[in-house]
Amino acid sequence: MDAIVIRNLSKSFGQKQAVSGLNMTVPAGAIYGFIGENGSGKSTTEKMICGLIPKSEGSIRIFGNDHTDAKVRAGIGVLIEAPGCFPGLTVWNNMMLQATNLGLENAEEQVRATLKLVRMEGSASNKYKNCSLGMKQRIGIAMALLGDPKLLVLDEPLNGLDADGMRIMREVLTDIVKDGEHTVLISSHLLPELQKIATHYGIIRHGRMIREMTAEELSEDCPTFVALRAADMRRARSVLNLHYARVEEDIEREYLRVYDAESPEEVVKHLYDNSVTVSELFTERIGLEEYYINLMEGRK
Amino acid sequence: MNNTREIKFESPSFYQRLRGMLGVDFYRLFHTPLYYIFLAIAAIIPAMILGMTTVEGGAPLYSNTWNIVAADTPLYVFNEIGEYANMNMVFIFGGIMVSIFIGHDYGSGYVKQLFTSHPKKQDYMLSKTITCAFSMACMCVTYLIGGVTAGLFTGADMTVNVGSLIIAILGKMVMSLGWASLYTFLNVIFRKYFGISIASSFFFGTGILIIGAAAVIGNSSSALLNIFLYGSSVNACLSSNIFTLIICVLVSVGWTLVYNLLGTLVLSKSDVY
Repeated sequence: MDAIVIRNLSKSFGQKQAVSGLNMTVPAGAIYGFIGENGSGKSTTEKMICGLIPKSEGSIRIFGNDHTDAKVRAGIGVLIEAPGCFPGLTVWNNMMLQATNLGLENAEEQVRATLKLVRMEGSASNKYKNCSLGMKQRIGIAMALLGDPKLLVLDEPLNGLDADGMRIMREVLTDIVKDGEHTVLISSHLLPELQKIATHYGIIRHGRMIREMTAEELSEDCPTFVALRAADMRRARSVLNLHYARVEEDIEREYLRVYDAESPEEVVKHLYDNSVTVSELFTERIGLEEYYINLMEGRK
Repeated sequence: MNNTREIKFESPSFYQRLRGMLGVDFYRLFHTPLYYIFLAIAAIIPAMILGMTTVEGGAPLYSNTWNIVAADTPLYVFNEIGEYANMNMVFIFGGIMVSIFIGHDYGSGYVKQLFTSHPKKQDYMLSKTITCAFSMACMCVTYLIGGVTAGLFTGADMTVNVGSLIIAILGKMVMSLGWASLYTFLNVIFRKYFGISIASSFFFGTGILIIGAAAVIGNSSSALLNIFLYGSSVNACLSSNIFTLIICVLVSVGWTLVYNLLGTLVLSKSDVY
């Protein structure tokens, strides 16, 4: 069974069409990376899934049920934009409030366990307004995790997290989906971080889904290349252009990339034969970020 | 993902849904200083009015301590402030408190958590109405305590028909439900504009529209105004009988249903930010 199935979903705000005929399928047990530029309709789609804004057209089904069904909605954990916490209450009280909202029987126990999971157990007595941005994000994630939701909808949850916070987040999310009963829909602009955990991707642009794929399909679509740095980069490039069809310069990192080489040894041999000294050499695969930028710019 | 199993969900009953929502609202109510501040205000205001007006050299506002609770007869049109300043003021304080209470829901973004897990918007309307009605009823109690304490200290006359007094107090407490539903509805409409929410709650809470209408039609024909919240609140006075209480119950419950239905409709059509 798929966790989320969206068909022909549209939403307009007055004259502005935020989402237009969107189709999307999130398999159960997936970590679905939802990607798109600012204003592409990610948050609007997520809010429609959670029932926070009514849709104009189309259908949203969650685990086979209509998304407005009270029984499935009780099983969704959300973090949309910022956590909805009361600034004057402590972290503990905010968590208890959410536990009460969800009608959890063993509220205190679950709150304690969830705070421990996101390494926030030591800050339970802090007032929410005194927490740092990263701490607030962790609290938001903890609130979303309360009650063992079958579907987690996380909008930019990585914002403001430090390296340790991101690692914890990765561990928590990958642990959650292991049993195949939990699904995570996560949108983020931090694509390298997203690539470390996502099993599926959906790329949205101007309110339309332009590509949906698995991590394996992404990997197949992302070519490997030989990267090198030479003493004389200009000469190296002209030599390589004689032997290879696709040689590009990575201006930011000051490398040359050869996409259609059989092996790194072959590239070195060509350069050596033409008296070009190679100072650094390695093979690499283009990442999600570069894939996404290429897709947005219409490049293959 | 090969180990994906079919997932079953249990449909929460109305009782479970309302219990969850009420749990949140009462938890918040008892954990925020706002509630206690308003209880204190409700106690201090009658004490101040009674204390200050009787110790001054001029004529006191009240000849009887219990006039701080209600007038002797239903005075829709009043000639002096003493005839207006009674327990009905609790509904003005209550309106401001409800605006702040609901405003925090939207300001903090907590509504996103609420409406994700509670898709039925009537749960929100009902829960807010009950919680705010409870808080206003509590304010009526602290108002009574403040007024009576001040009356005892100042030595004002305490003569009263106890039955009518109890009915008047109960009537006003019952009216809290209707007032709470009105304020919840107003705050749902103006949810994005906190200032307008407070101003509208204050405006309607003063009963100025009903007072204006009563001034036009005169006090003798003003019983018709009892179909409105302010009218019934005024009608619960020191000459009340059991029918007064019945009218209060009917009017309060009737308006609660109307405002809850309208509020649910507004919320169902609205976006949550």
